[in-house]
Amino acid sequence: MQRRDLKTWLFLAPAGAWFLCMLVLPLIVVFVFSFGERGAAGGYVPAFTFDNFLNLGARWAAFKNTLILAPLGTLICLLIAYPLAYFLALRTSPRWRTVLLILVIVPFWTSILIRSYAWIYLLGGQGIPSLLNALGLGNPRLINTPFAVLVGIVYGYLPLMVFPIYVALERLDKRLLEASSDLGSPPWRSFLQVTLPLSMPGVATGCMLVFILLMGEFLIPAMLGGGKVFFIGNALVDLFLQSRNWAFGSAVAVALVLVMLVTVAAYLHFTRRWAGGRDDVSLM
Amino acid sequence: MRIYALAVYLFLYIPIGIIALFSFNAGRHASQFQGFSTQWYGKALSNPFVMDALTTSLTVALSSAVLATLFGTMAAMALQSVRGRLRLAFDALIYIAVMVPGIVIGIATLIALVTVFDWLNPILAAIWPLADAAPKLTLGYGSLIAAHGLFAMALVIIIVRARMAGMDRSLIEASADLGATPWGTFRQVTLPQIFPGILAGFLLAFTFSFDDFIIAFFVAGSQTTLPIYVFSSIRRGVTPEINAIGTMVLGVSLLLLVAAQAILQRGRKAG
Amino acid sequence: MTDRNDFLSREKFMAELYRYKKGSVTRRHFLGVTGLGLATSVLGTAVPGLRGAAHAQGSIGDRVVVASWPNYHDPANFDAFTAETGAAVDLNVFGSNEEMLAKLQAGGSGWDVFVPTNYTITTYVDEDLIEPLDLSMLPNYDAASFDARFADAGTVNGTVYAVPRNWGTTGFVVNTANLGGLPKPTTWKEFWDMTMAEFSGRTMVHDYQLTTIGNALKYFGYSFNSVDPAELAEAEKLLIDAKPHLFAINSDYQPSMRSGDAWMSIAWTGDGLQLHRDMPEIDYVLGKEGGELWSDFFAIPKGAPHRDAAYALINYLLAPEVNAKEVAFHGYPVADARVNAILPPEMLNDPIMYPAADLLSALEFGAAVTLTDPNRAELMARFKSA
Repeated sequence: MQRRDLKTWLFLAPAGAWFLCMLVLPLIVVFVFSFGERGAAGGYVPAFTFDNFLNLGARWAAFKNTLILAPLGTLICLLIAYPLAYFLALRTSPRWRTVLLILVIVPFWTSILIRSYAWIYLLGGQGIPSLLNALGLGNPRLINTPFAVLVGIVYGYLPLMVFPIYVALERLDKRLLEASSDLGSPPWRSFLQVTLPLSMPGVATGCMLVFILLMGEFLIPAMLGGGKVFFIGNALVDLFLQSRNWAFGSAVAVALVLVMLVTVAAYLHFTRRWAGGRDDVSLM
Repeated sequence: MRIYALAVYLFLYIPIGIIALFSFNAGRHASQFQGFSTQWYGKALSNPFVMDALTTSLTVALSSAVLATLFGTMAAMALQSVRGRLRLAFDALIYIAVMVPGIVIGIATLIALVTVFDWLNPILAAIWPLADAAPKLTLGYGSLIAAHGLFAMALVIIIVRARMAGMDRSLIEASADLGATPWGTFRQVTLPQIFPGILAGFLLAFTFSFDDFIIAFFVAGSQTTLPIYVFSSIRRGVTPEINAIGTMVLGVSLLLLVAAQAILQRGRKAG
Repeated sequence: MTDRNDFLSREKFMAELYRYKKGSVTRRHFLGVTGLGLATSVLGTAVPGLRGAAHAQGSIGDRVVVASWPNYHDPANFDAFTAETGAAVDLNVFGSNEEMLAKLQAGGSGWDVFVPTNYTITTYVDEDLIEPLDLSMLPNYDAASFDARFADAGTVNGTVYAVPRNWGTTGFVVNTANLGGLPKPTTWKEFWDMTMAEFSGRTMVHDYQLTTIGNALKYFGYSFNSVDPAELAEAEKLLIDAKPHLFAINSDYQPSMRSGDAWMSIAWTGDGLQLHRDMPEIDYVLGKEGGELWSDFFAIPKGAPHRDAAYALINYLLAPEVNAKEVAFHGYPVADARVNAILPPEMLNDPIMYPAADLLSALEFGAAVTLTDPNRAELMARFKSA
């Protein structure tokens, strides 16, 4: 028994050390810094003050933007991804399925930076707006708006949503659908009563993944929002790379982590209950 | 349904098409097409900074993926027999590692390492036998690999553990009953069953690191990864060179994907 | 007599320069035609090391990393430097001095050369982030030929930390084609008022507290450098009111001005000149109330990984003939009399590069305290996240 304990410890040691040095330590430092003060030329000087937390209201707009656009982006991703995943899992021949699936991931292999840049061009005055103008549909300003950021978000994260839903739908026992239709149930009813509930774990996983990534998003609003659509991630980068206020930046980071912990825990709680206590409704 | 799918694929591919199209632009500007040319591919390939950035990215992605896969698999296996507080602590750490946004990881790692280095470097300099040769800890490869590996390792643990949960434990017991050594059992029974999970974890870890911008942006120090290079090129004013780099990365990834698929198919037939 | 070099037109000069850069004419032809030949031959004997003799090829390493500003360097000059020395130049572009400072403060920037603005240098010295320059490695730097007004800030407590690159002003560019009968704005008050009315959704401001807050302060007639809380509060209110009307907050406004997406933007001299050169309908305006006058410098950060290459590059870019080519590209005035001696008169008489005295006298140099003031930094951050 002793030997086995030793082996277990040895196997856990590297991962444990890694977590301690690169996760626990940095988070503790951020926590400690969040009670400090900004140095004269920026940076951090030790102190013990709650001012940084009291000042969080100054970033309320960024928090609000994030808390609106992250769930909204997740929802739009879901609405676009679900029919596609359904099509791929239930309406394509197995031969084409692999190819079509790979085609969903391929855009993922180009850097999100370059893909977002393509959207700067497409949404800029010489892109889609000029096309719309030529068609006599007006000349709307798209770039540097929340709309542009949402397009970028959907574009960037769609594959992450398609996959889990596809996996859930593909696993679905087709006999259930047959049984449902044999019992005289119309297709929409089969969908609502059989397909949709059984695909919920995939939906939950996809939403979780996309939502978590969106809460910390920086690049897409930075590139497609023109500095006007600010996520909390942008506020954080700004605090560290422009105004060099490490103490306040740490407080914002702590607040972001807390908001995420709460929302994710609440989300898991509700989806678990909703999905009837199934355990597979989670990231893990 | 088909039309819908087609529309989604168009949405996914129009920007990619534009990137690829402009990579063949003869002109300097990324927004006006001025004739066909492959010069930007030559430029990108002969640009030492692009090649440096690519090497850095590949080194970091490979190292962090290998380490994360190794340590993650070890931890996942060990956690099988761990209960109680230790298990709870690990579960919490994995959960936090996956959930804390990359931007917070990047910033937290930066300020923690800068603080620790500021504190350690004078000590190192004082105790080092050769006063001038004392090593100076700075941000760079080490911090990049460690920060990327963290998230990757959590992913690997999750994936491998899920695979193990679906594993047939009776096989392991049978193997032990038949007198196989623990190592033999691992190699011949456990490993083949969890291997797809390990491979998936490795590929995810590699992709994550290779594509990551935000963590690297903070912890890269003087190193430049490919996404950082691309970011600074966009700020410098985009030339089609960036499009060429993107198109090449895409092309190589596609080739690897096709190759991997072919190998897997063959493996499946052989098995 | 019609071909007198002195009267070489700007277009002709630029055309010749372009042909030279493309390699379709020889250097000798170029120098001969443009009249730079005489100047260079005089300088060539007067200034040792003009042709990089101080650093034989290959001895400086194969790369040099530069941190600088958008639309500020002629890529052809970097290519020429690489051809001459074997060191390739990696240019990193920043949107504000704050951003540069933040990167250096976090450590391990990896830069060899950076281009700080006058008011930042004392902060870099205080923070021990900048290397005192070894002037013996910069034979092309001739302190006597620089206008002290634009060179002094590089010297702190008697030590030279930075040598001048060029100077300029911060005004705004406006696309007059979009005025629609309105008079061209000439003041910061008009700039902000138009932003919130006729030009709503079409104006850009810098992602940089110094200029954006500074020019908002100018709306009320306060000092560009004000750190007075009451004055800053007024500026903040103006900025927050204007924010919904902005096209973007970004220090690289050229692409948006060129594409027509933006009609007006806070701008630096050279960008104004570059835009006006290519699109004459875009004018560069200095607000009558004043604004910023600045001077940029070359400097080397502490711990630069390629120190020799850094000196070689600075020295190369300070050579008057190279600097003249830089000016032809970026359109910022230089404080080096040797360069002005060989610039075409059209450039020296350009009202964008050399504004009228009354406009110029209203301008202020940025102050060190403006850069480091925590309230201004936080105000800008609040404005952006509002």
